[in-house]
Amino acid sequence: MLLLLDILTTAAILFVVAIGLLAVFGVLKIINFAHGAWLTIGAYCAVVAARLGLNPWAALPLAFAVGAALGGLAELFIIRPLYRRPLDAILATWGLGIVVGQLITLAFGRDVQLTPNLLSGTVEVLGTGYSAYRLVALLAALVIGAAFALVIERTRLGLSARAVIMNETLARGLGLDTARVRLVVFMIGAGLAALAGVLLTPLTSVDPTMGVGWLIGAFMLVMVADASFLALAAACLVFGAAQVLVSTFVSPVLGSIAVAVLAALVLRISPKGFSRA
Amino acid sequence: MADMSMAEASRADASAADAAMTGAAGAGLVLTEVSSGYGAVSIVRGVSLAIRPGESVALLGKNGMGKTTLLKTILGLVGLRSGAIAIDGRSVADLSPAKLVALGVGYAPQEQPLFQDLSIRDNLRLALASDRLLPEALARVFGHFPFLKDRLSQRAGTLSGGEQKMLILARALMLRPRLLLIDEISEGLQPSVVDRIAAALAAERVANGTTMLIVEQNLDFALRVANRWAALKLGEIDDEGPVDGDARARILRHLSV
Amino acid sequence: MPETITAARPAAGAGERPRLARAAPLVVALLAAGALWLAPLGLDTFAVNVLTRSMIYAVLAVTVDLLWGFAGILTFGQAAFFGIGAYATAMLLTAKGGAPPWMLAAAALAVAAPVLLGLAVGWLSFYHRSTALYASVISLVVPIVVTQAIYSGGERTGSSSGLVGFDVLPLEIEGYFRLAGLLLVAVTLAAWILVRSDAGRLLVALRDNEARCAYLGLNPRRLQIGLTAVLAGVAGLAGFVFANASGVVAPENAGFLFGTELVIWVALGGRGTLIGPVLGTIAIDYLAANLSGDLPFLWQLLLGTAFVAIIILLPGGLADLARRAWGLVPHRRSPASVPRLRADPSRAAARTDGPLLAVQGLAKSYGSLTVLENIDLTVRAGELVSLVGPNGAGKTTLMRCLSDGTEPFRGAIAVGGVPTAGLTPNRIVALGVGRKFQVASVFESLSIADCLRLARASRAGLSPLARAETLGLPQAVLDILRMTGLDAQLAAPARLLSHGQKQALELAMVVALEPRLILLDEPTAGLTKAERTTIGTVLKGLTADLGIAVVLVEHDLDFVREISSRIVVLHQGRLVLDGTVDEVVGSALVRTIYAGGAHG
Repeated sequence: MLLLLDILTTAAILFVVAIGLLAVFGVLKIINFAHGAWLTIGAYCAVVAARLGLNPWAALPLAFAVGAALGGLAELFIIRPLYRRPLDAILATWGLGIVVGQLITLAFGRDVQLTPNLLSGTVEVLGTGYSAYRLVALLAALVIGAAFALVIERTRLGLSARAVIMNETLARGLGLDTARVRLVVFMIGAGLAALAGVLLTPLTSVDPTMGVGWLIGAFMLVMVADASFLALAAACLVFGAAQVLVSTFVSPVLGSIAVAVLAALVLRISPKGFSRA
Repeated sequence: MADMSMAEASRADASAADAAMTGAAGAGLVLTEVSSGYGAVSIVRGVSLAIRPGESVALLGKNGMGKTTLLKTILGLVGLRSGAIAIDGRSVADLSPAKLVALGVGYAPQEQPLFQDLSIRDNLRLALASDRLLPEALARVFGHFPFLKDRLSQRAGTLSGGEQKMLILARALMLRPRLLLIDEISEGLQPSVVDRIAAALAAERVANGTTMLIVEQNLDFALRVANRWAALKLGEIDDEGPVDGDARARILRHLSV
Repeated sequence: MPETITAARPAAGAGERPRLARAAPLVVALLAAGALWLAPLGLDTFAVNVLTRSMIYAVLAVTVDLLWGFAGILTFGQAAFFGIGAYATAMLLTAKGGAPPWMLAAAALAVAAPVLLGLAVGWLSFYHRSTALYASVISLVVPIVVTQAIYSGGERTGSSSGLVGFDVLPLEIEGYFRLAGLLLVAVTLAAWILVRSDAGRLLVALRDNEARCAYLGLNPRRLQIGLTAVLAGVAGLAGFVFANASGVVAPENAGFLFGTELVIWVALGGRGTLIGPVLGTIAIDYLAANLSGDLPFLWQLLLGTAFVAIIILLPGGLADLARRAWGLVPHRRSPASVPRLRADPSRAAARTDGPLLAVQGLAKSYGSLTVLENIDLTVRAGELVSLVGPNGAGKTTLMRCLSDGTEPFRGAIAVGGVPTAGLTPNRIVALGVGRKFQVASVFESLSIADCLRLARASRAGLSPLARAETLGLPQAVLDILRMTGLDAQLAAPARLLSHGQKQALELAMVVALEPRLILLDEPTAGLTKAERTTIGTVLKGLTADLGIAVVLVEHDLDFVREISSRIVVLHQGRLVLDGTVDEVVGSALVRTIYAGGAHG
């Protein structure tokens, strides 16, 4: 039972971290390697919020706004010129990640930052104590997932985004301003990354390079999900389970690379990943 | 003699529309020496064509002669190499498709024309910039194609071929275009569906004075919905003329093997 | 007249210049080696130490440049192979000590282990229809896996603190500097010779147009996997030298971050130039060592900003900037060397009496959409069969099924009696099938002569050392070149050709394969009247004189009528008519199909 909870919460965290990357990949067809840096930006928003004496939860909207605003600048000046050079876009966004990491280092130093707990303590689950925050993370994943699905399915923006994903030429022919759709989606993706950064603060140490470790896992999940929202949820569950099981029964080190290795194998066998189902 | 009567019927359709068009709201389109293509390939080579407001011109020609590319060039989907495109006397060569659609250009494409996995309603919604005008626009296209009304939530990909073609046209009519670009809308359709589409086009011209540029391979349909024709060969206008008694014979010379 | 048809421009003094040019890399290498040998005398200890490391990194940069800059494979994995080489060395020397036999064994292991892993990674990364992005993804995963393996290696790998204190080569720091310098010069020289050779064109061809490589009968997978393995070995050797020179190996040496740094250095130096990445790596690593002490974060910030700016604004890197500056200085441009054309005796194709191409009950669908249904078609040697039909009739799909056996289809296709189901395009080419695409598929950055040479590579091979001075082509190809005037501009890059010339070049490349059957998809689309006539003449000659069979998709019915021996009509995925030109042209059915539904 605890194992199941571990699997669910791990999948939830993976999902929260990867969803912004998925949105960007789906609509822009570009891998945003600065995603890790935006996680870091979000986490430092929590640091700033704490210094300003704000309620720890206030960091969430703050991070989303800051992440989205900076993401908009990145889209305009870095992504847009590279729209037709996807491999170069990977490199440029990676470079952007380095720049962001160094700017944060210059401003805050390279030391680990302490952030206030969003929620501490444990909850009694079937007679055992379980980290309350991991349950909050599970809840957060559900909320974010539901909000994301709602935007995609119910709003005009979601419809435009889906149209661009399905057939960009036709979308343009019908008069959709695809450049604007890309900009807005990138801003949302960046905002979600920053939001995820705040949610990660109780689970991981906050330092200027914290995002990199999460980037590769998120990236592999998105590759396997191939821009499909439900496939991402499924991939998070499957690979989250693999990670927890391998960590528990084999070795934690192997567990940490389980996602990347399994995803690579899945892609080799079925290049469309989980999205075919 | 079935052909003859067909041609007469078609002229009747078109001239009825002509007669009704007083104070036309349609846009004028003028192409001057338009050339365009993909990469190193020039597909359209110096096409000049003037369409008066409210006129309906059928563009005929065999496959691969540049008809689709010409439509895409007008809409800004394919870059203009040289020449000029003007709508209502205003150059539109460097406008994005979004701007052109905002000016009132409707487009019914031939290749991958629908979002197969989206509902009929969403396909129609995407033709409008905002949902505010949706109820009114939907009501208008239901007038042409009533079957859409009860099936709004059905996936577009599950429609039959003919129904898909009607949906494509309905979507192009959603924004009440002043200039309508139509690419082989009659392709592979049964006569009854062709009739319905022709009727919808005629009704739209009567109601709004819409200017139309209709790319076709189906001669009967083309003669029925147009009052002028032009034949495109190897990226150039080879011949053009009014839809009259000679039109059929002249066009067939361009289409035959 | 099978004698020599020489290029129109025999460059003056062609006798001496090539020999000089061929010796240039060797001369430069000797000078560089000499300078590096003497350099430690004039440098302080710190500089010697740092530059030793920089030069080892530069070796890696050369391998990244070959993979990415030339062959188009963006890789972050070279760090992993480097780390494995370094760790193999350190682990063996820790266990066995540094006696000469063990030192040799360590060097061998440092190369062999990465080569083996490179083969595995190559197999994982490259398969029929794999994407460039997927290969990059794998190259990301490899260093992560290797690093984690090192972390979990316990005492044997020293876990997170790495290995230190093992026996190393008995050299002073100057000795290591010279060893690293010699390695760098040797690797760069080898790479330089390779990229200037005919085989080097193949790397660029892979980057430009992998599909065309396959349809020239070359096996892109094998080349990419081989390249990955060999360069993994080179990286491993650099790892061996690094382990000895530094006396320390750590997990970071194998890590993903180091892999990205290599890519950054190559990008800043100028991908695809070899010398750019070498100088870029040395300069940046040396600067980093000097500056990062004083301004550690600012240095990284500047580097990152420069990297982003270069990627967006100057994809060719600093080398491109230097080249442009050099272009402003007036200097004599040496004319590009042009090979002499010579007619190869055509190999008598084994004539089969049976049908060359036999299609039975072919059907294909995408999901619920049926594109082809129950197609039966037989083509014999010397026939020119045209496929006609309106858009969406399934013509291009049929061509695809004929030339790629891995397309999922039902029914049977046989070429010369051999079933093609499951065969990749290059193996179908080996059966004697050449395919010309609708949009001319040539190698844009290569010259006409190089495009043609690659078309002959599956028969004549390519030299990895030099550029051949002659280019043997079948007489039919020489005729095409002469008729289209391409023989007068053999040195011109294919991207500068007009659309019609590109189509002609691609046709010449396909004919150079000496196929028994040629598949052509709309060869006249977008051509002028005169160009059409030329292509028609060429096709008639191929079928009538050489007995080659041609299957042609074409919209221009005038053209079809002039050249075909048979016409096949496809409509809505079915073969509705198969007959002589007169039968088809006179048919009411065709008239109906082309004029639209003549109902009523």
